[in-house]
Amino acid sequence: MASLDAATARGTTKGTRGGTTVESTRSGRGRGTPARRRRRYPEYLLFLAFIAPNFLFVLVFAYWPVIYNGYLSLTDWNMLAPTKDLVGLANYRDLFTDPDFLATLRQTVVFVVGVVVGSMVLGLATALLLNQRLVGRRFVRTMAFAPHVLSGAAIGTLWLFIFDPNYGLIRPLLAPLGLTSPPWMTSSRWALPGLIIVYLWKSTGFIAIVYLAGLQNLPRDLYESAALDGAGSWRLFRKITLPLLSPVTFFLFLTTIISAFQAFDVIALMTEGGPGTSTTTLSWFIYQRAFVASDAGHAAAAAMIMFVLLVAMTALQARFLERRVHYR
Amino acid sequence: MDTSTVVSRRSLLGGAGAAALALTTFGCSGKSDSGYGQAKGNVPDKYAKRTRVVLWSAYSGTPGTTLSALAQKFNDSQDEVYVEVQFQGTYDQASQKTAAAVQAKQIPDLVTFSEVTWHRFYLNDLLEPLDGYFTGDFAKSVYQQQLLSEGVLKGKTWWLPFARSTPLFYYNKTLFAKAGLPDRGPADWDEWYGWSKQLKGLQASGKQVKMECYQKVDGDWQFQGSVWQWGGSYSDGLTVTINKPEAVAAAEWQRKLIFDDKMAYMADSPTTDFSNQLVATMVTSTGSLSTAVAAAKKGGWEVGTAFVPAKARQVVPTGGGGLSIMRYATSKRKKAAFAFIKFLADPANAAYWCVKTGYMPAVGEAVNDPQLATLLKANPNYNVAVQQLAKVRKEDEVRLMVPNSNVMIYTGLQKIWSDNAPVQGVFDDVASQLTKATGQVKAQIEKHV
Repeated sequence: MASLDAATARGTTKGTRGGTTVESTRSGRGRGTPARRRRRYPEYLLFLAFIAPNFLFVLVFAYWPVIYNGYLSLTDWNMLAPTKDLVGLANYRDLFTDPDFLATLRQTVVFVVGVVVGSMVLGLATALLLNQRLVGRRFVRTMAFAPHVLSGAAIGTLWLFIFDPNYGLIRPLLAPLGLTSPPWMTSSRWALPGLIIVYLWKSTGFIAIVYLAGLQNLPRDLYESAALDGAGSWRLFRKITLPLLSPVTFFLFLTTIISAFQAFDVIALMTEGGPGTSTTTLSWFIYQRAFVASDAGHAAAAAMIMFVLLVAMTALQARFLERRVHYR
Repeated sequence: MDTSTVVSRRSLLGGAGAAALALTTFGCSGKSDSGYGQAKGNVPDKYAKRTRVVLWSAYSGTPGTTLSALAQKFNDSQDEVYVEVQFQGTYDQASQKTAAAVQAKQIPDLVTFSEVTWHRFYLNDLLEPLDGYFTGDFAKSVYQQQLLSEGVLKGKTWWLPFARSTPLFYYNKTLFAKAGLPDRGPADWDEWYGWSKQLKGLQASGKQVKMECYQKVDGDWQFQGSVWQWGGSYSDGLTVTINKPEAVAAAEWQRKLIFDDKMAYMADSPTTDFSNQLVATMVTSTGSLSTAVAAAKKGGWEVGTAFVPAKARQVVPTGGGGLSIMRYATSKRKKAAFAFIKFLADPANAAYWCVKTGYMPAVGEAVNDPQLATLLKANPNYNVAVQQLAKVRKEDEVRLMVPNSNVMIYTGLQKIWSDNAPVQGVFDDVASQLTKATGQVKAQIEKHV
């Protein structure tokens, strides 16, 4: 890093091209004689030709949908009519005065907090466990990761069976405790906790494996020094493990929040947002408004709200949480 | 290096340009004059030179394989048309995909819409009027007239009956016998309620048997019948009436059965629970008959069917699917699609469909076909559905025509069935949502109906 900084300070960058070290003077770039510029012109074209496919791909499939969605959020359109009527911000006003949408926002927050906090804690705990020298460790690691690679449809079907109050696998587990299995997916009280459990099961394995990779890269010498100074396991965990894992935690926190906001497949299969609207989260609300109610305007407005929320949360995390991340 | 194999940048770009042009040309090749192309698929070599018809189907399981078998029979019966059946999920999913296809301007030719979803496409002028396609040897009169009339608006036929059904009353004969109940359906809901008291405490396979359960998603279809039986309606024309006392009384009856009498509950699938003997009776589609009969046979018990009980009235809604042709398909494909509709309406084929699936015969003559006639004679349960056709009625206008109205109604019902929410409050809320949604499409409906 120091040598790169020094090179940058001198206005010089180094790199390799075709195995030969090349050096270019930044201050001289873009200048030169007209003849030299003419010689470089094909190089720019070549550069543009190389980046064009990816650039177009990102533009068409990432940015254009967001821009077009922003436009749709200002219209009244049933997804079949040839014309879209501009209605300004009316869709946003409708959403923020709709009790169902406000309830959806509350449920989304409960779901996201439940999934993110739960899966991060369980993932870290699982990783700490898998980091021990246990018999059958590799098998257990594979099993822990397996739910992450299953499709949402398979997970939904599996958990519908597990949660079945009459025949489900959870029933005999609760019976010895004198408890009966509640009607998980047909009860407004239990459906959202049930979905959070399913998503915890789905995402914990992935988080555990990423944490495990982080744990295995921690420097042993720090632990040895701290142990020599008399630090106990809890102190080692709190003062060394957690701070050194903070880049991993930061990455997982960001990605888990985004994926929890976008959770859709299991909800679609298990509850369809019900009973009532008790498991309607933002992503289901958007789908329901757009494709079931044929109301593209309100769906697009809700999607823009979700987009802004995610961007804002990511920016806030980058601004405030990243300060506490210890990059080695 | 052999220079003859080196591709220059210029020739590469030239080649890419030619490929893009070729792809564009190819992509446009299936488009009609209106700019709509045909949904993609695969045609076996032996049918390659025929007019290809893409049918988007909402049928899986037995109905799905039966429809595919009929398409295969049609493809082998002539040499001009090839029908390609493409399964697109449930009626709602098929409708959503068709809406997306319209936006992408790459549409199927023939679609199986439900009694609700076809209106959405009709109101947006996307369906083909079918009256002009009928000829001397294939008249509209071949269809059961009540069912046919449900696809007619403004004097034109837009949707032809195919997989039609009504709610039917199912009961577990074996459990009824154990509880000392008669082997028949109840005359009315009050008699049924008395029977539920007699059945209370009965167990099957170690589980407490309940009297009935309500379908969590789409249960508003069965409840449409309940509302009518109690003398109410979802709407009178486009005026919402779901919060009137009769409809409220129908839902209050069910709420009480769940939370006071503990003899009913909300279920993901009443058919599954009935098949597992968790409930002794259910009101669900005639299309569930083959599933219930098969489960009973396997479980060593017997299924009985009867008319849905009466309260103030004895009436049930129709439901299920029919066939529509997309307006912007090419004329050649529309004619070819109608040839397949004609084939499906042949009494032998219509009877085969009914026998295999349990759907009601939409073609009058099908009941005289030997295969269906034999089944109706041998298994009276199938006959009940046919006889109940005399009691059917087209659903209320708001449920049929206002987008999302069915979801609004069943979401309200879920709150009652799962949360014990006060019925009047829930239905006032649903009525307010329905009225608002109706207002948004009222002008469009009035223009088209």
